[in-house]
Amino acid sequence: MSDDIVIQTRALGKVYRDFWGRQKVRALKPLDLEIQRGEVFGLLGPNGSGKTTTIKLILGLLFPTEGEALVFGKRATDVSKNERIGYLPEESYLYRFLNAEETLDFYGRLFDMSAETRKQRVDELIKMVGLDRARKRQLQEYSKGMTRRIGLAQALINNPELILLDEPTSGLDPIGTREMKDMILRLKEEGKTVVMCSHLLADVQDVCDRIAILHQGELKELGRVDTLLTVADVTQIRARNLTADCQNEIRQVIARHHGELMEMDNPSTTLEELFLSIVRDSEARPGRRANVEQTTSA
Amino acid sequence: MILEEQILPYMQWLWSGGPGSIGALPRFLLIALGLGFLGLLLGFIVSAARHGILRGGDIVYRTITNGVRELWETSPRRVWALAQLAMKEAWRRRVVVALMVFFIILVFASWFLRTDHQDPAKLYISFVLTATTYLVLGIALLLSAFSLPADFKNKTIYTIVTKPVRAGEIVMGRTLGFTLVGTILLAIMGVSSYVFVNRSLDHTHEVDINSLKKVQDAAGEYIGQDGRTSLDANHRHEVELNTDGEGKAESNYGHYHQIVKRGDRSVVLGAEGIMRARVPRWGKLTFLDRQGVPKQRGISVGSEWTYRSFVDGNTQATAIWTFDDISPALNYDDGEVSGLPIGLIVRVFRTHKGVIGRGITGSIQVRNPETGLASEVIPFTALDAKIDERIIPQKLRGTDDKEYDLYKDFVSPNGQLEIRVQCLEGGQYFGFAQPDMYLRLPDASPVVNWLKVYASIWVQMVIVIAIGVTASTLLSGPVAMLFTVSFIVLGFFRPFFVGVAAGTEYGGGPVESFYRLITQKNIITKLDEGFTTSLIQGVDLVFRSLMLTMAQVLPDFAALSTVAFAALGFDVPADKVYQDLTMCLAYVIGLSVVGYFLLRTREVAR
Repeated sequence: MSDDIVIQTRALGKVYRDFWGRQKVRALKPLDLEIQRGEVFGLLGPNGSGKTTTIKLILGLLFPTEGEALVFGKRATDVSKNERIGYLPEESYLYRFLNAEETLDFYGRLFDMSAETRKQRVDELIKMVGLDRARKRQLQEYSKGMTRRIGLAQALINNPELILLDEPTSGLDPIGTREMKDMILRLKEEGKTVVMCSHLLADVQDVCDRIAILHQGELKELGRVDTLLTVADVTQIRARNLTADCQNEIRQVIARHHGELMEMDNPSTTLEELFLSIVRDSEARPGRRANVEQTTSA
Repeated sequence: MILEEQILPYMQWLWSGGPGSIGALPRFLLIALGLGFLGLLLGFIVSAARHGILRGGDIVYRTITNGVRELWETSPRRVWALAQLAMKEAWRRRVVVALMVFFIILVFASWFLRTDHQDPAKLYISFVLTATTYLVLGIALLLSAFSLPADFKNKTIYTIVTKPVRAGEIVMGRTLGFTLVGTILLAIMGVSSYVFVNRSLDHTHEVDINSLKKVQDAAGEYIGQDGRTSLDANHRHEVELNTDGEGKAESNYGHYHQIVKRGDRSVVLGAEGIMRARVPRWGKLTFLDRQGVPKQRGISVGSEWTYRSFVDGNTQATAIWTFDDISPALNYDDGEVSGLPIGLIVRVFRTHKGVIGRGITGSIQVRNPETGLASEVIPFTALDAKIDERIIPQKLRGTDDKEYDLYKDFVSPNGQLEIRVQCLEGGQYFGFAQPDMYLRLPDASPVVNWLKVYASIWVQMVIVIAIGVTASTLLSGPVAMLFTVSFIVLGFFRPFFVGVAAGTEYGGGPVESFYRLITQKNIITKLDEGFTTSLIQGVDLVFRSLMLTMAQVLPDFAALSTVAFAALGFDVPADKVYQDLTMCLAYVIGLSVVGYFLLRTREVAR
C-alpha cells in the first residue's frame, strides 16, 4: 500500500445478524475504496445507505463480515492506528459530568501525552473551538452546538493525520456550520486527510475534493466533486456592470453561433450568505437594523 | 476459633500446598492453562462457524498475538486516566450514599445490640464487620456491573476505543478506579467502626464500698480487700484491692478494669481488653479412645458437622496436643505466676444435665513424649465454648509426687511437649478440634488486627469488582449484576457447591434435586431404578462436571472472611493475609485477561 493512501478498503462488507446467526440486513456490499493523503473525502447517501457503517468498519468499531479495511496500512482492528486518527461521532458521546478542560485532558491522557503537552494542547483547542468562557462548565450544561465543538476538539487533541467526521454539521446553526466547514478546509490546508459522511449535500459540496455516493449499502458513484458536478455542454458567464445594450449584443453573438441561451438575469445570493451577512452586520453595529441590500451586494 | 483448614506457611501454600493438594501457584497455572485451552477451542469453533475454518483460525491467531503484543503496550498513564474517570463516575453515581447507610446501620446497632450479652465485644465486632462486608460487596457489585454497560448504552465507549486504548487498559482502569473508591469507603468505615465499637462498649463502674471485705494472709497480716463493683452495663466485676486501695476489677464479659486511688477514693478506670488479638501457636491433635488406644479422631456424638470429635468422660479417652519448639522463651512470669500460657476451648456435650449452673470437670496433664514422664493432673471446670486462658506452672509435681521443671523435664530434647485433656465426669463428653488448644504468645495490636480484617474485606471487594467488570465487558448491566451475584452466593456456599459437584451431598445433582422437589421425595430416599433415573443421573453427570470445572475458579468468600478472628479476639495470621492478597492478585490477573479477550472480540458499535 502506497504511503499516499491513508485508507484502503478491499471488498469490505458487513452483514448484521441476529443472535442465532441469521442474516438481518446487509448493511454494506463489497466496497473498494482508496482515500489519498491530504484530501477531503465525503461519503454521501440517504439514511441507511451504509455510510456510518463504513466509518465504523474503518475505525474498528465493527468487524467486517467480508473483506478488510486498512488504515495507514494497518488493519482496522489494530488499536495502534488510532494514534494518528481523530474521530467525531454523529453525536458527541462524551462524559457529561466532566467540564471542557477535564474532557480534553482525559482524552489527551489516552494518547499518553505528557502533562505539559496536554495543558498546552487543551488551551489551544478550547480557544480554537470558541469555548474559552465555558471551559469550567460541565458538558451537561452545554448546548448542542457547544457539545459538537468540544466533540471536535477531542477529535483533534492528538493533532491527527486522519480525521473522521460523522455528520459534522448536524445540529449546528448556520454560523456553526460555516465555522465547521472553515475548520475542515483549514485542516486540509494543514495537509490532513478528512473523511466525512453527511446527508447535507451542500456541506459536502462546499468542502469535499472527492465523494462516494452510497445507496442501500452499495457504492453508486465515486469521483472528484468538480468533475462529477460539471455540466459539460453548458457554459456559464458571470459579469458585473453590463448595460442592456451589451446584454443584447451577447444574446446576438450566442444566436449567431447557433447556441441556446438558457438564462440571463441577475443572480440571487444563498440564504446562508444572507444570514451570515446579517449576523456580521449586527455584530459590527449592534442595536441597528441591518442594511441587507447593501451588505449582500457588497 | 474455628479453623476447618489449617493455615499453611505462605511459601508452602504457594509452592507445594498441604497434604493431598498442590501449591497455589502450580494450581493457578494449571487452571489458567486449562481455561486458556478451552477458551481457544471455543473461540475457534465460533469463528470457524461464522467465517470458515481458515479465516476462523486466522482470527483466533491474530487475537492471541495481538493480545500478547497489547499487553506489552499497556500504558500506566492511560490506565490511571481510566481509573480516575471510573472514580469520578462513582462519585457522580452518589456512591457516598453507602456511607450514610453505614452510619444508619451503626445507629441501629447502638440502639438494638444487647449490652448484657456474655461477650458484647464479639456481638458488636461480628455485627459491624459483617454489615461492612455485605455493604461493601453490594457497592462493589453495583459499581462494577453497571459502569461499562452504561458506556456502551450511552456510546461514550466510541470515543474511548477510537483512541489508542487497549481493551486490557479499559478493564484494568475500571477495576483500579472502583477499587480505589471502595478503598476510600472502607477506610472511612474501618475508622468509624473501630471508634464505634470501642466507644459503645466503653464503660466504668464504682467500687461497691459495702461489699469490701478485708483479706489477711496466713500470718494474719492485712494484705488488701475483696469485693465487687456496682452493676453497670448489665454486669459487675469481682474486685481485688491492695493495701493502697489500688487493684483490678477481674475479667468478666470479656474485659477487665484497672482500679487506681484518687484522693481517698478507689476509682475504676475504663474497660480494657475489649478488643484483643490473641496470638495462638497451634499443635497437632491426636486422641486415645476409651481403652487408651491411639486414634486419629475421637468419637462422634451424632453431629453432622464433623469438625470436632469427642472424648467420653471418666474413661481413658484423651485428647493429646503435641507442641513443637517449646522453650523457656515462651514462659510467662508476672512475679506471682510463672509458667506456660495456654488457651483451651471445650465444647461440652452433656448426656445428662449434671449440676445446674456448674461446668463439667476435666483434667489437664503435661507429658514428655520421649521419656513418658507425666505431671500430676490439673483439674479444671469446662464451660461450653468459653475460652479458658490459663498458665501451666513452671514448677510441677510428677505422678511420683516429685517436683519437676516444665521446660527441663517435660519437654523432650527435640522441643516437644504433650498436653493431655480428659473429661472426668461419666456420661459427659468434651469435643475438640486441633485449634481448640494453643500456646498463647503475647497479644498483637488490636488496631493492626482490625486492619488485617479490613484487608480481608478489601480482598473480597476487589474480587467482586474484578468479576463485575469482567462480566460487564460482555453482558448488559442487569445480567452482569445477576452473574456476579451468582458468583458471590455460590462463593459463600462453595463447600456445599463442591459437595454437590463431587456427589458427596445427599439429594444428587441439580436435575435429581429438582426431580425430588417436584415428586416430593426426600433427599435420602433411593430413586426407583429405571430409564428416568438413569437419564436424570446421566444429565446430572454432565452438570456436575461443569460444576466441578466452575468450582476451580469459584472464590471461597466464607474462607476469605476473617471476621470470626476479630470477633473472638484472635490475631489474623500474617500467612493468611499474604495468602488472601495473593489470591486476590490471581483473580484480578485472571479476570483481567478474560475481560480483555471478551472486550476485544466484542463489536463495540453493535
